Amino acid sequence: MRPAFSEGRSRDTSGLLTWCCAGVCLLVLAVAFLGPLLATGSPTEQVGPPFAAPGPGHPLGTDFLGRDVATRLLHGGWVVLALSVGATALATLLGAGAGVWLGLTAERGGEMVMRGVDLLAVFPSLLLLMLLATGAPDNDAAVLLAVGLASTPFSLRVVRAATRQVAGTGYVLTARARGDSWPAVVRYDVLPNIAGTVLADAGIRFVAAVHLTATAGFLGLGRGAPNANWGRMIRENLAGTALNPLPVLLPAALLAAFAVAVNLLADRVAGRMRHFDSARSDS
Amino acid sequence: MSWGPFLLRRLAVAVPTLGALSALVFGATELLPGDAVSAIAGPSATEAERDAVRDRLGLDRDPVTRYLEWAGGALRGDLGTAYTGGRAVTELIGSRLPNSLLLAGLALLVTVPVSVTLGLLAGARAGRRSDRVVSTGVLLVAGLPEFVLATVLLWLMAAEADLLPQVSLVPLGGTPLGTPEILVLPVLTLAASGIAVGTRLVRSAGAEVAASPWVEAARLRGIAGTRLAVRHVLPGALAPATQAFGLVSGALVGGAIVVETVFGYPGIGLELQQAVAHRDVPLVQGIALVLCAITLATVLLADIAARALDPRRGSAR
Repeated sequence: MRPAFSEGRSRDTSGLLTWCCAGVCLLVLAVAFLGPLLATGSPTEQVGPPFAAPGPGHPLGTDFLGRDVATRLLHGGWVVLALSVGATALATLLGAGAGVWLGLTAERGGEMVMRGVDLLAVFPSLLLLMLLATGAPDNDAAVLLAVGLASTPFSLRVVRAATRQVAGTGYVLTARARGDSWPAVVRYDVLPNIAGTVLADAGIRFVAAVHLTATAGFLGLGRGAPNANWGRMIRENLAGTALNPLPVLLPAALLAAFAVAVNLLADRVAGRMRHFDSARSDS
Repeated sequence: MSWGPFLLRRLAVAVPTLGALSALVFGATELLPGDAVSAIAGPSATEAERDAVRDRLGLDRDPVTRYLEWAGGALRGDLGTAYTGGRAVTELIGSRLPNSLLLAGLALLVTVPVSVTLGLLAGARAGRRSDRVVSTGVLLVAGLPEFVLATVLLWLMAAEADLLPQVSLVPLGGTPLGTPEILVLPVLTLAASGIAVGTRLVRSAGAEVAASPWVEAARLRGIAGTRLAVRHVLPGALAPATQAFGLVSGALVGGAIVVETVFGYPGIGLELQQAVAHRDVPLVQGIALVLCAITLATVLLADIAARALDPRRGSAR
């Protein structure tokens, strides 16, 4: 059944909100990835006393070791976002590959595998992250792998459901009947039909990945000090908020703005895809 | 199906699941090539010292044997000894777990009524203004990572306004209830992320029920407003929402770890975070296993509650 949704009246304001979210995302991405190129000083050099207020030489003040907050801010974003993108790609590739395969193969074996997938989905993702990080301390690969693997079961479930729907349609059965190979069926009949679902799902996984990666930084997992990382900056400087709150508030604001904007965008995209899919299956 | 076979069937799934999760917990710390030995022995240890550590921890034996020993011990209520401090893992967990359960219970007490009210407000009027306001607000909060929310609350309420304590210290041997003000910020943060999840679940279940023939029939009989929402939408929406809430309980366990760490609240989540920082593998594995068991138990309880709340069971008898 179609959800009782009427978005018609609010289209103009929701369009504006979507553009604002896209703008915020681009801005944070620019700070994170252009930042290391724009920053002039060293992110690990001491330039003043700890938690100094903004002043000449350190426009946003200093952190708990007297390092320049502005420089650390410009250097600390890309690792969080790059790991999130990598983990999303990993989850989407693994989830889509296994999801298509399970969606097209026999029922019984598939059900057994899905019980296992449900099991992984119950496993708290932060717990997986902390376990992998305990085994491989000081290692960003552990964060990438944990965040990616934590998202894979959800991705797999969505893709498998979409594939099963396509697999039951006439053209896939026709293609199989005229002797097309499975890779050809996947390439020409399945993938074009589930591409929208996969992309919308990747958006949702990316939101979760940003959350988890930032949390990893905050908890001090992954490559450690003295590298700058927005999540860890917040933790390192919590003690000095009374003297200089900027090294806590600015990375928190950037992470919050990005996470919220991406979440709203992913919700819009997923909503569009649902409308698109239900419109298509209605016709 | 009556209750007996239902419970048996659920337990028959839950017990092997916990077994499989225990293998996952043990395997995950071994999956990546890390060097636990040099982390414990220190970077300047000689080869003989490293061998002694390896021997003492039993790391020279193969992982399968060590897993079986660990899992067997867990069945007898023995999770080994922590590397740091040398106390029994179960003893460390036992001293911290009540604090965490108190925190989670209080957060749940706030989360459930607020989620049901907001979710019903939005779901019973899907597409209207109240729905858009609630849904967007919830999406905003759900977008925020818990540690950002916690940090900003901490800064506003404790550092700037000086209303509440910054660190949730509990005197040795005391309980958090002795100083209830330390619970306010942790409970608020945990409840906020719980409400963001719960409201969405109640809303989508409510929207589905609100579009159903029997609610339409009630509407045609002239029932509207709160009465329609509480008497006709809520009963049908509660069961699916409860079940879905069980399935996302894993996310709330993660939230509790973060919240305890931010506020220094002496629970099992803070213990885990410190154990990870000290590379205390047995302690990490023990806490992770307990958290998995709690997550599974929550899923199971939510399933049972959903079944008890399902109005169709009453009419089928």
